[in-house]
Amino acid sequence: MPGPMELAVTVSALTCQFGGLLALDDLSLEIPVGQVVGLVGPNGAGKTTLLDVVSGLLRPTTGTVTVFGQDVARRGREVRAQLGVVPQETALYEEVSARQNLRFAAALYDVVDEKARVEAVLAVVGLTARGDDAVRTLSGGMQRRLAIARALLHEPRMLILDEPTLGVDIEARHQIWSHVRKLRGQGKTVLLSTNYLDEAEALCDRVVMLRAGKKVAEDSPRGLLARAGRCVELECAPGEAVEIEKTLVGSPGVLRIETADLGLVAYIEGSSSPEDLVRRAMQVCPLSGFRIRSPDLVEVFRALGRQGGQERGDAP
Amino acid sequence: MSWPVAVRAALVLELQQLRRQKAFVALTVLAALTFLATMSLFGLTGSELPLAVVDEDQGALAGRFVHALQGVRHAFSVRPMGGDAALAALRSGRVIGAITIPKGFGESVARGDTVALVVRVDNLNTDLTSDLERALPNAIVAFGDGLGLPGLRARLVEKDLVTHGETGFLAYVSVSALGLDALIIAGILGALAMAREWEGRTVKMLRLAPASLGTIVAGKVLAAAGVAALAMLVTTLVVTFGYGIVPALPIGSALAIALCVLSFACMGACLGALLRRTLAIVPFVFGMAMPLYIDCGALEPTRFDGEWIWRLAHLSPLYYATGLLEWTFHGLRVTPEPVWLDAAVLLALAPISATLARIAISRRRDTEHSRQRPRHDEIRDVPA
Repeated sequence: MPGPMELAVTVSALTCQFGGLLALDDLSLEIPVGQVVGLVGPNGAGKTTLLDVVSGLLRPTTGTVTVFGQDVARRGREVRAQLGVVPQETALYEEVSARQNLRFAAALYDVVDEKARVEAVLAVVGLTARGDDAVRTLSGGMQRRLAIARALLHEPRMLILDEPTLGVDIEARHQIWSHVRKLRGQGKTVLLSTNYLDEAEALCDRVVMLRAGKKVAEDSPRGLLARAGRCVELECAPGEAVEIEKTLVGSPGVLRIETADLGLVAYIEGSSSPEDLVRRAMQVCPLSGFRIRSPDLVEVFRALGRQGGQERGDAP
Repeated sequence: MSWPVAVRAALVLELQQLRRQKAFVALTVLAALTFLATMSLFGLTGSELPLAVVDEDQGALAGRFVHALQGVRHAFSVRPMGGDAALAALRSGRVIGAITIPKGFGESVARGDTVALVVRVDNLNTDLTSDLERALPNAIVAFGDGLGLPGLRARLVEKDLVTHGETGFLAYVSVSALGLDALIIAGILGALAMAREWEGRTVKMLRLAPASLGTIVAGKVLAAAGVAALAMLVTTLVVTFGYGIVPALPIGSALAIALCVLSFACMGACLGALLRRTLAIVPFVFGMAMPLYIDCGALEPTRFDGEWIWRLAHLSPLYYATGLLEWTFHGLRVTPEPVWLDAAVLLALAPISATLARIAISRRRDTEHSRQRPRHDEIRDVPA
């Protein structure tokens, strides 16, 4: 019988309120050790707020958070010593060099053999050659990598990355992804927030979808894709699309239908037959073509977000 | 686009930006008020000398003489009191002189005899004594003229009770200006050191670190104080060798300046942590420094109308700095409080301010951050 899974983070009934704004609403979450967990959601969903609470920067209104079994509210200093955090804004001193930034951070985290560790993390993120340059002269991607290097200095048990690829170019993005994958390979626990769903799909073992401070869904990327069923693209003229939509809406197995440039996109349950749907559509109007595919995470998010909104009685 | 539209658009945009910088606007208004207060205080300090009058005669002519003292324009703020109280007030710096109207004054004047009036002066600087020497004969002549006394002459005989060198006005002011320098330089450097953490958003990293925030504040304050001390060293050398003002207590003067720099850097750090914006710091420090400077007895010992401005001066750290610096440089006691108390207040202000700065950094609820974040639904899938 397998032993109980060791948890890196336990979030219980967390609520965060700023004045009239409910940033997190009764959120609960468990993150096992060694997993890469992604928080996805639109801006304002509560991702950064959740990360701030987990890292002890923000005191929740209600609820508790433990990191490696320690209560963040009571043992903040001990918790912070085990975390490496890359904030959204990188929080680097721009006027001084990369090495000077790292040396300062090393002092704050009481890093043993500071010089060697600084060189080691610079090498990990490929910035050894630029180590003596002022941070302001580094590109956005390099600054992100430097912030990751700083977070790795004290060899934390867990990394928190807040939108690690925000505002960086494609190449830098892939370099950062590569670093995160290496961390996963080393068995580090990683909690990252992103609103790039392909990033979550590429990096994460589990994805937690947030909307308006609530957890909309939590699963592996594959599990989430499976939940959203299948996607059938029907190519037809705009006038015919309206007729087809009228016929198919409410049909058994059809989750929803959206108008698209090519005609219509229908989302059906995994157990439903896409061929049946195409046949029913062709009975209304002729189709110039059709394609059956899996939905991507954007479509999953929209589908789940819509369901969540309907459950809470939000406006569609 | 026509030019009125462009002007209006620029005006509206600027106002919208200023609406988001409420602290800056408020401090600008405050700066305007403090400059008014500065000049008002400047006028008040130069207008009337607080003079204790001990009337031992209590006769009608003595009363007329007191009236004559009050009648000299912008000269004396007459404060009748008993002999012991006058001496105590003189020793504590609350009055700059005490004039005693002796018993039998009225009779002697009526007989046309010469009357010796004893005037004790706290000769802190030559400017102050000169003011008194110029105004007193005016009062005596006005008194004699009112009585129709013929051939009235006033003769001043000066007698030093304590051996001392004269402290010139420039020498006095230069030393108090060192306090002002320390306040502005160390205050601004300390404030910038903290405010930069918010403007560069690096404060988040400080909060995330397991290191004590108190140690971080201490390091930042020491750096600010070190740079300010360097600037003060240069200024003090100019005062000493350029102006020829040799400190009475050289080591004491150096320690006093070091204490002022450290204390003001801590206060600046506290200010920076509270304001969080470098833009707001400079007008605030300059705006507050000048009235505090004049209010603290920096130009010369306080001689204001009324007590409340003098009481207010106790809120100014420059009050204690001036008291300490004038003592170490010139051996003068310019505050009623003992010098050790001036030093103790400055010493206490340093850890209190640093602690407040630490508390301001550690405030975990960063509502500003949540307010700044955009709140529009957006979910992206960038092709890799």
